[in-house]
Amino acid sequence: MKRIKRLIATDKNLAILFAVLLLVMVVFAFVFGDSMYSARNLRSMAYQIPEFGFLALGMMFSFMIGGIDLSVIANANTTGIFAAMILTGNWFPGLSEGTAILLAVCVAMASAVVFGLFNGFMVAKLSANPLIATLGTMTLYTGIGMALTGGRGITGLPEAFTAFGTAEVFGVPLIFLLFLVVAVALAFFLGKTGFGRKLYLFGGNPTAARFSAINNERFTIGVFLVIAILSGISGLIIISRVNSAKVGYGDTYLLQAMLVCVIGGIHPDGGRGKVAGVVCAILLMQVLSSAFTILRLSPYAKKLIWGTILILVMGLNYLSDKQVKKRRMRAMQAKALN
Amino acid sequence: MAEIILRAEHISKAFIGVQALDDVSVEIHKGEIHCLVGENGSGKSTFVKTASGVYTSDAGTIWLNGHSYTKLTPTQAMNEGVQVIYQDLSLFPHMTVAENIAINCLRQTGKKLMNWKEAYRIASEQTKRIGVSLDLNATIMETSMANRQLTAICRALAQDAKILFMDEPTTALTKQEVDNLLKVVVELKAAGLAIVFISHKLDEVFRVADQITIFRDGKKVGDFDPRELDQKKLAYHMTGRDVEYPRYKRSVADDRPVLQVEGLTKKGNYQDISFEVRRGDILGVTGLLGSGRTELALSLFGLNPPDSGKIVFEGQAVSITSPYHAKKTGIALLPEDRSTQGMFPDRSIRENISSAMVDDIVKCGILDLEREKGLATDSVARLKIRTPSIETLIGSLSGGNQQKGVIAKWVATDPKLFIMDTPTVGVDIGSKAEIYEMIQRFASEGMAVIMITDEMEELLANSNRVMVMADQRCVAKLDEEELAQPDVEKRIADMIGSAYRKGTEKR
Amino acid sequence: MKRVLINGPEKILIAIILLYSIFVTIVNPSFLSLMTLFDIIRSASCTMVVAMGLLVVMLSGGIDVSFMSVALFGGYVSTLLMMQTGINNIAFPFIVSTLIGIALGLCNALLVHWLRLPAFIITLGTQNLFHGIMTTFISDSTIGSGILPSSLGRFGSAAILQFETESGLMSLTASFVPVAAAVVLTWFIINRTMIGRGVVALGNSEESAVRAGFSPLKIRLFVYAYIGALAGIMGVMYIAQVRAAYPNKLVGDELMVIAGAVIGGTKSTGGQGKVLGVLLGTLVIYLLNSTLILLGLSSSWNDLFVGALLVISVAITSYQTRVKNRKNLIFTE
Repeated sequence: MKRIKRLIATDKNLAILFAVLLLVMVVFAFVFGDSMYSARNLRSMAYQIPEFGFLALGMMFSFMIGGIDLSVIANANTTGIFAAMILTGNWFPGLSEGTAILLAVCVAMASAVVFGLFNGFMVAKLSANPLIATLGTMTLYTGIGMALTGGRGITGLPEAFTAFGTAEVFGVPLIFLLFLVVAVALAFFLGKTGFGRKLYLFGGNPTAARFSAINNERFTIGVFLVIAILSGISGLIIISRVNSAKVGYGDTYLLQAMLVCVIGGIHPDGGRGKVAGVVCAILLMQVLSSAFTILRLSPYAKKLIWGTILILVMGLNYLSDKQVKKRRMRAMQAKALN
Repeated sequence: MAEIILRAEHISKAFIGVQALDDVSVEIHKGEIHCLVGENGSGKSTFVKTASGVYTSDAGTIWLNGHSYTKLTPTQAMNEGVQVIYQDLSLFPHMTVAENIAINCLRQTGKKLMNWKEAYRIASEQTKRIGVSLDLNATIMETSMANRQLTAICRALAQDAKILFMDEPTTALTKQEVDNLLKVVVELKAAGLAIVFISHKLDEVFRVADQITIFRDGKKVGDFDPRELDQKKLAYHMTGRDVEYPRYKRSVADDRPVLQVEGLTKKGNYQDISFEVRRGDILGVTGLLGSGRTELALSLFGLNPPDSGKIVFEGQAVSITSPYHAKKTGIALLPEDRSTQGMFPDRSIRENISSAMVDDIVKCGILDLEREKGLATDSVARLKIRTPSIETLIGSLSGGNQQKGVIAKWVATDPKLFIMDTPTVGVDIGSKAEIYEMIQRFASEGMAVIMITDEMEELLANSNRVMVMADQRCVAKLDEEELAQPDVEKRIADMIGSAYRKGTEKR
Repeated sequence: MKRVLINGPEKILIAIILLYSIFVTIVNPSFLSLMTLFDIIRSASCTMVVAMGLLVVMLSGGIDVSFMSVALFGGYVSTLLMMQTGINNIAFPFIVSTLIGIALGLCNALLVHWLRLPAFIITLGTQNLFHGIMTTFISDSTIGSGILPSSLGRFGSAAILQFETESGLMSLTASFVPVAAAVVLTWFIINRTMIGRGVVALGNSEESAVRAGFSPLKIRLFVYAYIGALAGIMGVMYIAQVRAAYPNKLVGDELMVIAGAVIGGTKSTGGQGKVLGVLLGTLVIYLLNSTLILLGLSSSWNDLFVGALLVISVAITSYQTRVKNRKNLIFTE
């Protein structure tokens, strides 16, 4: 109990977020009953979370260094298209299924890495504004996919590959487990390793980081590399789950990824935030998403709700920040008087 | 006596926990140059902001041209002819000089349209008035620091200034530019303006001041005629005590050089610099801004690659390409600008102290938090950082303790050479003495130190060797013997290019 | 000469446009005709109108990605109102839509000013919010050309200049009028009015602008209302051109407009950008768009070229700034 109390004290925002998540889940249990928490629905949620989750974690990293990476989705789609081209035999025809899958995965990850390196190069070596630079690369990466496919979906992936997207371990989707493992690894990475520490320092004040002998350029490229790898994984999951690759899949994820970061307590100016917050926010989003599906809300209504939540959360953050500052001022004044 | 333009009576102003101004009264007359001097945090900036309506005083009255105000607003102040040129100049970098000069006064006319002809007329009228020629079509980005300063002056004049506050106008200027600026200031005074000059460069103060007001701890120490004062007395009034810092004596026996610099040159920054530093040396480097001193420091720290010349570190020729490389070599730098370059204000003391050695406190890929805590606790004790805990955000500490934190960050890496660029800017007197004591202790323990400073006292108390830079060159190197001479202070001042003596002669 | 070239993104763009046009003409001589120009003007007209608004927003140091949502909202709702009230006058939807645009723009301005968060995220939120409100609470059905008020369709196909040639009838679309008006007005506001200089001042430095006596809130209200108004106008133009009001078009096309502005030399940091630059930047995109087929490439190559152009222009300009900063020993990232 004491430990929990201390935990709550150390990160109030996370505690509040967790409480909201629990509350929403309990309320939905009463409102929707079985249709929400049936094994089928839980499983379908577990299938939907990973593809978006990886993208959101990538977005989180870009927020942490004070930039927005718009190219995450384009990266995922285009690497997915590369993989699909190989898997369907459009490229390198005549490979055995096993070799094709191996090659597709390798090519997809390699191209994700190249895309990430290029983003990193633009931002680190040319000092381009991340938002504008990734707007450019987003268009470019989408353009590559467009030029390859002409906007058509590539379908007919081998079953052995799509099995990955539908595989289960003890009834839990494999891709969900993969997501959990990666999230835990990233949380560990951020909290306990030198890289994570540098991420917080760099996000807080990049100039001071340079003056503190942190190799800013290499570091920035590294961060974009991590983002790109997460995008690449997401791309593979997407094609294996929906059994096709297509430009423009998951465009709505851009707003949702930012929403999840904002709800998860990642400040877009950089230097603040935790993986746990983002994961909580992802779960919350998925629960809401499921509720919308049960309610048969139109995509438009969903847009309305996501937009409203984003603005509301930002407004609440602003108000609570103001409150904290006020309290701090008052505390200082009280101290000064004594 | 000339007519009084501004009279501040019994002004007090408090911020959370700090009495920034305590019952201060000042009179400023037409056609005088009135200097405000005092240490950082003595209340002079607060006074300027109160007199220009940015802050509302808690008590007291401000009289402007015979009108009294208890709650002066910026607009009222402006209408009475109060103009302030802040240190950052508040210019628009991508707009032309002409527009920068004219925009404030055009906006005040309340016209909805922008009259460019009028803007150029105003700009050329004002530049003519102070007798300078500026390229009115150039953007501020393309304009030198000195001309930016002149642009700001023109802007103030265009708004019909009767009293002009200038906050540290000379810090970013070279000697020649300072001379020009001071000439302009004297001419403005002759034209009947009141100039309030805020500077910590005492030689400039003596050169132009008709009246000096000294601030200390939010109180006015007094008004002085510059003829009654000399630098020593002024310093006494500013600090409230005769400051005699213990003089550093080198005691390390090892005479092998740590760093040798030979013919180092970077075009436009510094030319042909050669010197050496041994273990236990504190090499004081002084010179005006633009003399090349900070540029040289950045080159030694891998942030400003030199064009030619040799850097030898512990007998090996090295080329330092990045701060990371500098750290590995054993070189540390305390940067000039603490808040943007030195510290991570939103992170804890602990994280700030370990920030230059993140890779060194990693064990098997994982941060060794126990070791980090130990390091932080030790550093806090060793450098006497006054903080509630090592988890306190460094940004919430006082300037002196912040600076100690940044010093601690580098001391933790155990550097062989520590370059300190103006180590006591924005540091209170108490911490200043402690920082001096620390620097001297580090040197006595065998560290080589290069200390860049423009405070004579700081220079003479802490260095056993001095290099004077002017106009991008090393103009003199003084050893211990020469530093012991009684007239050394004046010699150095002359070499820097200060017109200290010239100024007194004129009077 | 070299200095001028590097300092003038407009000159580089003009050079690119000329060289590219020559290239296309060589490959396919049918490109070189007045018809092509009129076609490009017609297809780029909507984008150019909002691009002017975006320029003003970016000059103030902000950004907006909600304007397509606003355009759709204004255009769609005013069309509905026309049908419900039976007013079949082309001035009506323009006025209504502009007013709606201004109102939504003011919402954006207040949120950006109060929340102090990146305008990109805030307006991405309002983009969804506005679109969601329209489709959920007003209507989400398509207004087809059959029931569309006739005055809209007439405006869409109207021409202000028309002449017969061997290759057929050539006409300059009436949409050219709002484009020209928006361009002239924007140029006038930026360069000749005090509020316009205030916008540029705010983009240069908020603190200095405040000291000079400008009110950041008022300026933000102005810039977001201005882009809102232009978006409203553009929404009606768009519906008139495609002769139908779809509830799901436009939204998502914002980034192309931003791309045009950035290629035209507008800086995302504020305070720098020119009307001519934005026009040329937008023109380049539409030139590529409409000539790919002449070069024998399908239109799906469009994104690739635009992306490459954008990446190159961002790379060049940011690298120049970086070199300049490093030379002056400024180490901000």
